[in-house]
Amino acid sequence: MPMIEVAGKQVEVDEDGFLADPNTWFPELADYFAKTEGIEQLTEKHWQVVNYLKDYYAKNGIAPMIRKMCKDTGISLKEIYELFPSGPAKGACKIGGLPKPTGCV
Amino acid sequence: MEVFVGQILPYITVAIFLGGITWRIWRWMIPRIVHNITLSPFPSNWVEAVMHPVVQLLTMWNVLKFDRGLWIGAFLLHFSLINILGGHVTGFYWVGEHFHVWAPNLVTLHQSKLASDFLGTVFGWLLFAAILILLYRRFAVEKVKLVSATSDYLHLFLLLTIVSIGNWMRNVRDFSVPYQVARDVLAGLFTFNPVPLPDNPFFLYHFLFVQILMIIFPFSKLMHTFGMFWERWIVNRPYREAPRGLPGAQIQP
Amino acid sequence: MSANALRQPKKANEALMRSVGCDPVPDDKKVEAAIQHIDEFRKKVRSFVMAMESCVKCGLCAENCHTYLGTKDPYNIPANRADLIRKVYKRYFTVQGRLFGGLVGAEELTLEMLEKWYSYFYQCSECRRCGHTCPFGIDTCEVTMVGRQILYWLGIGPQLHTATAGAILKTGNHMGLTKAGIEDTLEFLAEEIKDDYGIDVEFPVDKPESDILYIPSSADFMLNPGTLKGAAMFFKYVGANWTMTSRMTEAGNFGYLMDQNRIQRELVSRLFEEAVKLGVKKIVWGECGHGWRAAKMYIPTMSDYVGSRRIPITHIHDEVAALIEAGKLKLDPTRNSRKVTLHDPCNYVRACGHCDVMRTVIRAVTTDFVEMTPYKEQNFCCGGGSGILFDDPDMYQYRIQASQKKADQVRATGAEILCAPCSICKAQLYPMVKEHKLPVEVHGLIDLVGNALVWD
Repeated sequence: MPMIEVAGKQVEVDEDGFLADPNTWFPELADYFAKTEGIEQLTEKHWQVVNYLKDYYAKNGIAPMIRKMCKDTGISLKEIYELFPSGPAKGACKIGGLPKPTGCV
Repeated sequence: MEVFVGQILPYITVAIFLGGITWRIWRWMIPRIVHNITLSPFPSNWVEAVMHPVVQLLTMWNVLKFDRGLWIGAFLLHFSLINILGGHVTGFYWVGEHFHVWAPNLVTLHQSKLASDFLGTVFGWLLFAAILILLYRRFAVEKVKLVSATSDYLHLFLLLTIVSIGNWMRNVRDFSVPYQVARDVLAGLFTFNPVPLPDNPFFLYHFLFVQILMIIFPFSKLMHTFGMFWERWIVNRPYREAPRGLPGAQIQP
Repeated sequence: MSANALRQPKKANEALMRSVGCDPVPDDKKVEAAIQHIDEFRKKVRSFVMAMESCVKCGLCAENCHTYLGTKDPYNIPANRADLIRKVYKRYFTVQGRLFGGLVGAEELTLEMLEKWYSYFYQCSECRRCGHTCPFGIDTCEVTMVGRQILYWLGIGPQLHTATAGAILKTGNHMGLTKAGIEDTLEFLAEEIKDDYGIDVEFPVDKPESDILYIPSSADFMLNPGTLKGAAMFFKYVGANWTMTSRMTEAGNFGYLMDQNRIQRELVSRLFEEAVKLGVKKIVWGECGHGWRAAKMYIPTMSDYVGSRRIPITHIHDEVAALIEAGKLKLDPTRNSRKVTLHDPCNYVRACGHCDVMRTVIRAVTTDFVEMTPYKEQNFCCGGGSGILFDDPDMYQYRIQASQKKADQVRATGAEILCAPCSICKAQLYPMVKEHKLPVEVHGLIDLVGNALVWD
């Protein structure tokens, strides 16, 4: 699988550019992935979503239902789509180092 | 050439025609219907399942429903072709007297011959027109052009050639062949006592091209005649629904 | 045309292919191996042989295929798409093809041709509208399935389908849902139901000695909460002793769409292992089109598990409709009073006999139902059928093109709610609604049922 180098560290990504192993994530990667998803600068709101996703994933081994994420973070779905133009499943998960969702999404 | 086409080739043709059809259907029967892939709405019993292709066959229902232009050409072609094939069998066997033979009180001998001539002429021209319609579609309609191979055009040209020569013999008095002469040729072949062909190049070529058609029949898309039934046997079979109701639930249907 | 110019979804790499049990064939052996596989199929599968040998190229299927209508790509005419294999079949396995080759449209198999297979068999949505309209009933879907299976055996498959197969092998569902994730989501949904309707609904998971095993689509856990809620409310309402299983939380079956030989069987085996372990008396299927076809029509001939002969399987719509017809459900359709139209999922209406069932339900739970044209078994696919929900830019563009016909149909109804009771349809229609700027919300059918139930 392809390797990328960010902040002097080599990490492996999959064919879609998602982090191959969520455990290899480090904060500078978030900025790097954000640029590939068309986000210039990660704001506090972005980080709130990303951190929520990471925590949820660490606990449950899967990304949360989108509606639950909205409720828990207090950020509306519309706002999330504004924050992450490619959508929460793709954009936000990628930035947080979560695997790309599979199946009917 | 006359001897070969008229007295030898027919036996080879029939052997290839029947043998080829048998061989191809034999090959269709080897693989299984693995899963139930019946199209819904499902026929609910075998009578419905058998009626479905019959209705499709008689009316060309799907063609009528989804492509009116094709239906005009295709229905006309198949309908006149069946009548012409039937006409060849009955017309030659009873030398044009079949209507009289079937209904002696209603049709006189003379009327029978007139009717036979008339129907032959009409269906001959209808078939000719139908082939032209289908040829036009293959040449002019984009979507049909896109799916056509060379052989698709050649099949139509072969049919057109056969029908043109047939119509020529029927409509141009100088070149027509009396029923009795044609009957003798065919009877000779069927009784394994072949007689020479009449001295008429149109008859020779008509007879030759028909045999070519019969030879390629088992090795071409013309096998759709049988393929339709084998295909429908797979996709139109009855299905029985599982019973409704949730075991153990308080509310039951 | 060079292979580069073909529209193709992103391919899975070799490591991913191997991880799902596929042993890729090296390029110089691919052609030979593919021909051998065609030979095996023609000796085993009659539907494939008849599709190869019965087509007269009348062209009727062209304008009955949403893919061709949307792209105008000649290879997307069903007859031509099937011809990608038929040409090869003719060349190697028919008298006319061996003798006359090009004249009858026969062609040698090459690597370029295999690339074309990959491109066009993954643009086909296996919707069977061509089979429905074909004068002979030729089922071109069977050809697509054979094409995809052979490609998979050679080691060629889309990233999406293969990664999904990986999730199936690991967790028993497409999304890779874990038991912790499933329970957390369900707890959240139970709270929502309590908030919205004031009733306590349980979502049992792996509950022993249950009567009913409900199989939801795993996508419902991510995108379609209404469908899960509706199902739970329905089971609560009728007082059923039901459960879901965390080992097979999947109504769909991506194996059916790529590798029927191995991956499809995996979910079927798990289903009956779980059903027997939990002691259920009936299996009820959730909202998933291809999955319902795979379950209803394929399990009886695919499963070698004895349970598959003894435990009946029905769709949740079947059960709701039966109760509605018997007058046993108290429903208030005015709660769904916005104008609603129904998108008929292809697999439901052309493979599962599901037209009337859906209409019985939707008429009972809504006040303003309008049909789109054409509808029922003549309906057009959403454009995402057979899991072609690719998101690489080129393929995404294709999906939007392929949904043009659907968008026009929906717009013409003037509906505000688009009911699409299938997870693939939903996943395809969410972006379609956005890109074609349609003023509709997409919902499942059970969502509307749950909302209309009257609790005493």
